[in-house]
Amino acid sequence: MQYSQVDAEARAIGRKFDLVVLLSTFLVLIAGFHVHQMLVAGDWSFWVDWKDRNWWPIVAPILEITFPAATQAVLWTKFRMPIGATFCCLGLLFGEWMNRYINFYGWTHYPLNMVFPETFIPAAVVLDIVLMLTGNWVVTALVGGELWGWLFYPTNWVMIAPYHLPVEYQGALMSLADVINYMYVRTSTPEYLRIVETGTMRSFAGGVTGVAAFFSAFVSVCMYVPWWLMGAYFFGSTKFFKTYEATPVEARQH
Amino acid sequence: MAQTQTTATAVARPPITAFSWKSAGIAIGALVVFDVLINVYERLYAFSKGLDYTSADYESYWMGMLFAELVLEAVTAAGLWGWLWMTRDRALDRLSPAEELKRYWALGLFVLTYTYAAYAGASYFTEQDGTWHQTVIRDTDFTPSHVIEFYQSYPIYIIFGVGSLVYAMTRLPQFAKAFSLPYVILVGSPAMIFPNVGLNEFGHTRWFMEELFVAPLHWGFVTFGWGALAILGTWLQICPRVLSLINHIYYGKPIQSPAEVMKNPQSSVDPAACAACAL
Ligand SMILES: [Zn+2]
Repeated sequence: MQYSQVDAEARAIGRKFDLVVLLSTFLVLIAGFHVHQMLVAGDWSFWVDWKDRNWWPIVAPILEITFPAATQAVLWTKFRMPIGATFCCLGLLFGEWMNRYINFYGWTHYPLNMVFPETFIPAAVVLDIVLMLTGNWVVTALVGGELWGWLFYPTNWVMIAPYHLPVEYQGALMSLADVINYMYVRTSTPEYLRIVETGTMRSFAGGVTGVAAFFSAFVSVCMYVPWWLMGAYFFGSTKFFKTYEATPVEARQH
Repeated sequence: MAQTQTTATAVARPPITAFSWKSAGIAIGALVVFDVLINVYERLYAFSKGLDYTSADYESYWMGMLFAELVLEAVTAAGLWGWLWMTRDRALDRLSPAEELKRYWALGLFVLTYTYAAYAGASYFTEQDGTWHQTVIRDTDFTPSHVIEFYQSYPIYIIFGVGSLVYAMTRLPQFAKAFSLPYVILVGSPAMIFPNVGLNEFGHTRWFMEELFVAPLHWGFVTFGWGALAILGTWLQICPRVLSLINHIYYGKPIQSPAEVMKNPQSSVDPAACAACAL
């Protein structure tokens, strides 16, 4: 057989293995990232009336920089692919939309504009670009982590803004999101009527979001570091442990 | 280090048809069809027959399904894992490079099927359970969405995950005599989500705390879900060996023998050894 034919065959098989690696990694990261996200920040993701300007921009970014940081640690350092964060967040968005559309909307008939998820794609692209340009994970933690926290609210604002419009409903002032919440009762709805901005938060009014994003960015930086390290040294470890049977006899006697 | 020295013409190549997507296509296709049918079943009988645990309908439509699936899962798991073990390769040190490469392809498809099942269980059906609880109050731990999520979708991915690990341990030199840390986490950590249901159900039964999905009671699921990230280390172990096999079979480069890999699997993922035989 000609060398070129052998070469083509080898390359075709290599490409197939590449695809298996990419597809399986994508699917299992959806599984892990989505179950993590829905159980640490899910309520803010499920309901438009939970997407407030105080806690949502804090909780969501700091808990969702986790998988992107760990994935970047391997995809960048071992595969030179500057897509770790975007890869994770795209998978998360896919997992969320599958359920919001098929189940929240299709099965139990909540309107889609009540249950659409947040997006991390813009912040993830920025996080990946910072890592690609600097090639340094500490700088990515410091600069990328800050941007991650800062960018979350503005990049979701276009979707959220209409629901924060004030309306008067039965003599009370509330947001459009709150009215939607009244219309579509869910389990334990009374406990969901949250007055988010209380005490001094309320008197500082418009300043709340900026402070929340600033705080969120700080914690995102702090979260990035352990998750990068876990990705690099634990989940990305290539360690083998010998079984008892495979351990040499001399070693067993000590 | 002793290495098997050969030339390109001396190494048998596996037929290109050996690297077919067919088996994964059938397995994942069957799972997708099954999941669609399950969704149809839920739409037909969850609200109509699944709201009163004490009713006769509940007994036949939901508890019947629960017992049937638990039995089927136990039988399937024992059958598949047992068969993989009984048919294990007892002469792995004489494994030919072509056969080893074919087995890595089969393992890749096995892992791919596992990851689909894990997606369906941990992502799709788990958030679907949120949809269910936000719509109805359950009167039993065996509420319809749990019969599907906990006792069906989770065991299915465990069957494929453990199955793929047993396949690797019984048929590939890298995994035959040593435990791979990332691979065991990739399979074992998501598998622990199923036992964690015990904690979850006891907590919900005792404290009746359905209104918050982010309740700390749920964080056991979260921690075990992190194990999904270990697929990164798993591929970092597998890729260098697959690359060495391709380089050996198609380009005649030297390669570690199966016996050497079995004796010291760590050496097969050594970046230096890998770089020496890069394409
Ligand atoms: Zn549940």
